[in-house]
Parts: sequence; structure tokens; C-alpha cells
Amino acid sequence: MDACLAVEKEIDRVLTKFGDINENTGRILSDLITHIERLKAELENAPEDHTLTSVQVDILKQCMGKVKETVSRLTTDHRDLHSTVSKVGKAIDRNFIADFAATSREEVFAAPEKINLINKVICQHLYRQGMQEVAEALVQDADIAPEIHNKEPFTELNHILDSLKSKDLEPALAWATAHHDALEAQNSSLEFKLHRLKFIELLKQGASHQTDAISYARIHFRKFVLRHEKDIQTLMGMLLYVPNGIGSSPYSCLLDSEMWLEIYELFTNDACQLLGVSVNSPLGTCINAGCSAIPALLNIKQVMMQRQVTGIWNGKDELPIEIDLGSEGRYHSMFACPILRQQSTQNNPPMRLICGHVISRDALHKLCNGNKMKCPYCPIEQSPSDARLIYF
Amino acid sequence: MADLKSLEHPTLKVPYEILNKKFRTAQKSLDREASHVQQAARELESTISGGNVRARDITSLLGGMVEKLQVLKRKAEESISEELAASNVCKRRLEHLKERETLTSAGTVSQGAVNQWKRKRLDRMMVEYFLRNGYYNAAITLAEKSDIKDLTNIEIFLTSREIEKSLANHETSKCLIWCHDNKSKLRKLKSNMEFNLRIQEFVELIRSERRMDAIKHARKHFPSFEDEHLDTIQRVMALLAFPIGTEIKPYKALFDETRWDTLIEQFRQENYRLFQLASQSVFTVALQAGLSALKTPYPLMHFTCCYSDNGENRNPACPVCQPCLNQLAESLPFAHCSQSRLYCHISGLPLNENNLPMMLPNGYIYGEQALEQMAKENNGQIICPKTKEIFPFKKVEKVYVM
Repeated sequence: MDACLAVEKEIDRVLTKFGDINENTGRILSDLITHIERLKAELENAPEDHTLTSVQVDILKQCMGKVKETVSRLTTDHRDLHSTVSKVGKAIDRNFIADFAATSREEVFAAPEKINLINKVICQHLYRQGMQEVAEALVQDADIAPEIHNKEPFTELNHILDSLKSKDLEPALAWATAHHDALEAQNSSLEFKLHRLKFIELLKQGASHQTDAISYARIHFRKFVLRHEKDIQTLMGMLLYVPNGIGSSPYSCLLDSEMWLEIYELFTNDACQLLGVSVNSPLGTCINAGCSAIPALLNIKQVMMQRQVTGIWNGKDELPIEIDLGSEGRYHSMFACPILRQQSTQNNPPMRLICGHVISRDALHKLCNGNKMKCPYCPIEQSPSDARLIYF
Repeated sequence: MADLKSLEHPTLKVPYEILNKKFRTAQKSLDREASHVQQAARELESTISGGNVRARDITSLLGGMVEKLQVLKRKAEESISEELAASNVCKRRLEHLKERETLTSAGTVSQGAVNQWKRKRLDRMMVEYFLRNGYYNAAITLAEKSDIKDLTNIEIFLTSREIEKSLANHETSKCLIWCHDNKSKLRKLKSNMEFNLRIQEFVELIRSERRMDAIKHARKHFPSFEDEHLDTIQRVMALLAFPIGTEIKPYKALFDETRWDTLIEQFRQENYRLFQLASQSVFTVALQAGLSALKTPYPLMHFTCCYSDNGENRNPACPVCQPCLNQLAESLPFAHCSQSRLYCHISGLPLNENNLPMMLPNGYIYGEQALEQMAKENNGQIICPKTKEIFPFKKVEKVYVM
């Protein structure tokens, strides 16, 4: 916050000063102009061959002096603003980091095939976000082969999500019915929940629609009885309260508008899972991860420079510090050996000792004493050959 | 917010540089108009001090003075309003950045708003990336579509696009005008852009066999560079003695057509430096850092990881497992991990004291909760999801990961 505020203070100062000078200049100059025009008019009214009296000469001289002074003050006033302007630049430099690229290697993405890959990723992202026009413009500008199969599912999904936002269930229901088997296979309750919402919407319309609701339930709920018996019982219970209004019944929570938000989220999740794509845009996730990683990397880089450790990524092919991306940013299990503080590799896999403790194979070898070893965490002595390879 | 501090320098610096430039041109035009007025005043003064002055002469002089003052007034208004507009661009961008901070510091604000802001940031980054790569149409469409025109530096790229185009057509004039406009700044940056352009003009004259004109050109333009570039000038002058099709190395290189591409590249870099833009876009920098931070260290056998040979082991939710990003991440460093982070493959839940890791007799590790659930549903039997082997739940053993 400080960074922005510091710059804002300076820019506000610039704005007020320029505003002031704008007003002042306008006023002073128009005063001057009217003054001279008045003089001119006076002289014009004088007879044809009139020569100037000494008083008039004095007045004119005075006036010229004033003109010269005003004009030169005007330019110096403006020039003096330079320090105010340049303070903005200094504030920006002081509060924001100019050399943000210090942590990255320029050549990594420089090759044409890498640029092509980046463009493809961006293109997919744009289709995902429903920005077809931009994606098409990019396809043309960057000359990449369009991948038609990539855009179709997202056009459909975006359309369905848009209608869900405007509380229209039909496209989503049609989609869920079409993908009934696949949804069933992944244990999704999406289809049922969509029907449930539809049923609730019918009941909301009051007693006049209750027969519609009942017949809707008869048609659609039957196939969900096995998995959702309890839910269906609850829904049928709602019918008791239709004449007096469900809002004041024990079922009022089912009328909440959060049901719509929930269905929106559920649809996104289940549909993405069904199509085998991630819920969030991969590019978005990456960039957000990068944005939280860069400040940490810049910090460590500075520390390393101070200690004269050069080359941030030299030696190990690994970032110098752990980046905490929160629970969202983790997709894979990682095992780091508690003894060697190293990540497991194909050649150095995790091993489970007899006592249940897990260390890496390299650590195991290092802890061996002849044919015996002691677990570093408990008193149990064992033979290293009893340890066994495990798979996470 | 650390990410603002580290990534938004160009967002603010570019409009500042524009403001600074506007200030200098404003000052110049004010000075010029003011000196006109001063001169008129001096003229009038000398006329009246001559004695016996006729009123008519004076009125016409006064008329001229009024005109000049009016011009000064108009110019002052114009340039100051331009300066104000430039400062307002700065201000607007600050407002946008501040939005991000108020969103997070309030704590109560929905995640949705933060995500919205981040999406906008991604769009801004993409626009800049497009511009740097010359995808102008895509940049403009995207900026319009997500309404971020004010927040991106489209303008400066569009001006440089014109110059790049003219250089690609082997014309130097536009670029020379640019050099002239930014003379003092370029001198401060120790740029040799203008010198290189002059050399190229010289080479082109020789290429069209106008060697006398080439000499004239050299006489006119080279002396101002002799302090710094005498060696180069001498080498270039020797070109006069060689035929166009020469095979002698340094001279052949001077006749090379690709020198124009080098000039374009140099112009681009100098233009970035002029606006204090880094040589890489924020987008690629963030993408690199992000891929690295997400890239799982080393393949753990038979489990999902970004680089297992077996495609089945990839996690569809993981960005680095997507084919294109996967290839991009290939040459980047892995994330650092000093503490184990384990997840149950069945439920996806983290393995910790509430969900202990358990080992099946075949060495595979799963979470206690998922295994208990499975045992309950299958009469105490566990089916390993990976190998499809069946074990009784009793045979499952505890594993302690520190």
C-alpha cells in the first residue's frame, strides 16, 4: 500500500500544481491582453497625426515592462514545476522494482518454437475465457495453426455458464442429460442437483404449479432414487408447505439463492473433470503462481548478491527457495528426505524402514554401519536390506 | 503487496516518462512563444524611445503584441492541458493498482473480486506481450474487449510500429526524426542509434554506386561522431575502395541486407530503454517463475508428476501437466521442496496426522481415511487402485514421514 500511496502523493501534487498554473496563466494573460487592448483603443481614438505625449510614452514603457516581467515569470514558473514532476519518477523508482526480470533467463523463451508454444497456450486460454475475437486476431497476427477441437467445448461451456448466471437451467440440463452416463461414472450429482433446482423453482411459483412440480418429480427423480433417496424425501416434504409458503417452513433454506452459486461451481467442476481439463485456466494459474513467486525470488537474489553468491540458478537445476503457493498450487506429492533435505529422484527413491520411518535410499546407505543400521528417529536397529521401496 | 512492488514498475514508469516528455515540449514551446512576446516588447520600447512617435505606428505594434500574447495564451493552455492529461493517466493506473490492495487488506472482500483483478492483470500482461511481439491487432482487440486501454502502453508501441515499418522498407527518415526528438535522452543513454543509421545511409549510397554522394554524406554527418567512433568511421570509409560484391569479410558484412534487421532490433531495445522498459515482458518473466514454482521436482515412481513417461500419471488440474506448458517448462528449474508434501491418490486429500499415510503390502501409500472407507465398502478388502491387487485391510501398515 505504501508504494502506491507514495507515488500517489507526488502525482496529486503535480495535478494541483498544473491546475493552478493553468488557471493563473490564463488569468494573467487575459488581463494583460485586455490592458493592452485598452491602450490600443485609446491611441486609435486620438487624431490622425497625433504624436505621443511624454505621459503616454511613460505609460507604454511601464506596460512593456510589465509584459516582459509577466511573460518571463510565466516561463520560470512552469520551469520550476520540473522538480515536482521528476519527484514522481523518483517515487516510482524508489517504491517499485525496475529490474523485475533479474530472476529469469531471457534465452529460455527466445527460440521461435517456444514463442509458438506460448502463443498456443495463450490462444487456448483466450478460447477458454470466451474471447474468440482476440484469439482469432492472435491466430492471424502470430500465424499459428488454429486448433478447432480446442475451442468447441469451451464455447458450449461458456454459453451454459452464462445462462446459469442468468438463472436459466435449460442448457445445463440438456448438457447433463446428454452426458448422463459419463457423469454417473464419475459419481457426479450434478444432474440430480439440476433437476432438484428446477423442481424447487416450480414450487416457488406457488400452489398453482404444484401439480406441474409433482409430475416433474415423477418423470425425473425416479432414476436418482438409489443414490439420493434422502434428498428426494426432503423435496417431497416441501410439498406440505406449499399452501402456506415455503419461506416460513423448515425447508426455507432450499430457497436460498446460494443454491445457484453452488450449482454454478458444481457445473464448472464436474464439466471440466468430465472433459479432462482443469477448472482454472492453466495459464492463469501459472501467471498467478509466478506473480507470487517473483517477489520471493527477487529477495533471495538480492541476498545472494550481497553474499556474493552469483548465478541464482547455477549448480542445481532448482529454484533456490521454496515458494509457498497455498493449498491451491499443489498438484503432486513430493517427498523430501528428512535426513538429506533433498527431493527424491528415480535414483534416490523413498524407503520405508521396518519401524515405519521413511528416508531416502542415499540416506539409508550413509547411515549403514557394516550390515547394521539404526533408525535415526527411534532406537530400532535393523538390517538395511529390510528397508523397502515405497511408492507415493 | 509484494507482487505490485515487483511487477508494476513499467505500468507507472511509462506514463511518467510520457509526462516528463510532455513537460519538456511544453517548456520549449512556452519559451519560444515568450521570447516572441519579449522581442515585440523590445521593439516597441525602442520605437517609443526614439521620440516624436506617431500614435498610428504604436497601435499597429500594440496589435501585433496582442496577437502574440494570444498565441502564447493558447499554447500555454494546450500544453498544460496535455500535461494534465498525462498526469491523469498515471493517476488512473495508480487507482487500479490500489484497488488490488484495498481488496486484500479489507480481508472480508470476496475471493471473486481478487480473482477478477488478477484476470485483468493477466489481460494487461498479455497485451504487453502481444505488443512486444508485434501482434498489434490481437493487442488492440484484447485491450478493447477487457477495457484496459488506459492501463496498457499501447500508444508508445504503435508509434514505434510506424518506425519499425519504415526501417523494414529501408527508410531512415522516420527513425532519424525519432532520434532527433529524443536527442538528449539518447545521449544520456549513450545510444549510437543515430550513428548506425548514418552508416547505413552511407552504405546504401555506395550500394547504388553514388560514391561521390557518399563522400558528401560522410563529410556532413560523420565528424560529429569522430570522438567516440573514429575506428568505425575509418573502417566504413574504406568501403569506398571496394566493389559491392566484395568477398573481404568486414566489408562484405557491411553490405549485408540483414543489417536493417539489426537496426530494427536496436531501435526496439533503445525505445524500451527510453521508457525504462525491461528487455523482457512481465508476461514471460511471470510465466517462467510460475512454471518453475509449479514444476514438481523429480518423478516419484508410479505417481503423478509433471514429467512421468506415463501420460496417465498426469494430473489434469496441474498446469504444468498440460502438453504445451509442459514443453515450455522443460528447460526451467524445478520448484524447491525441503519438506515433504504428500497427497492421497484416492481422495486427493493431504496426508498428515488426521489422515495418516498407510502402506499396502505392495509398497503403495494411500491415506488412512480412503483405505478405511474402501475396507468398509468391500468387506475389509483393499483393492490397490494402481496394481489392482487385493489385500485384507489388516495387512496395511503405518508409515511415518517426517
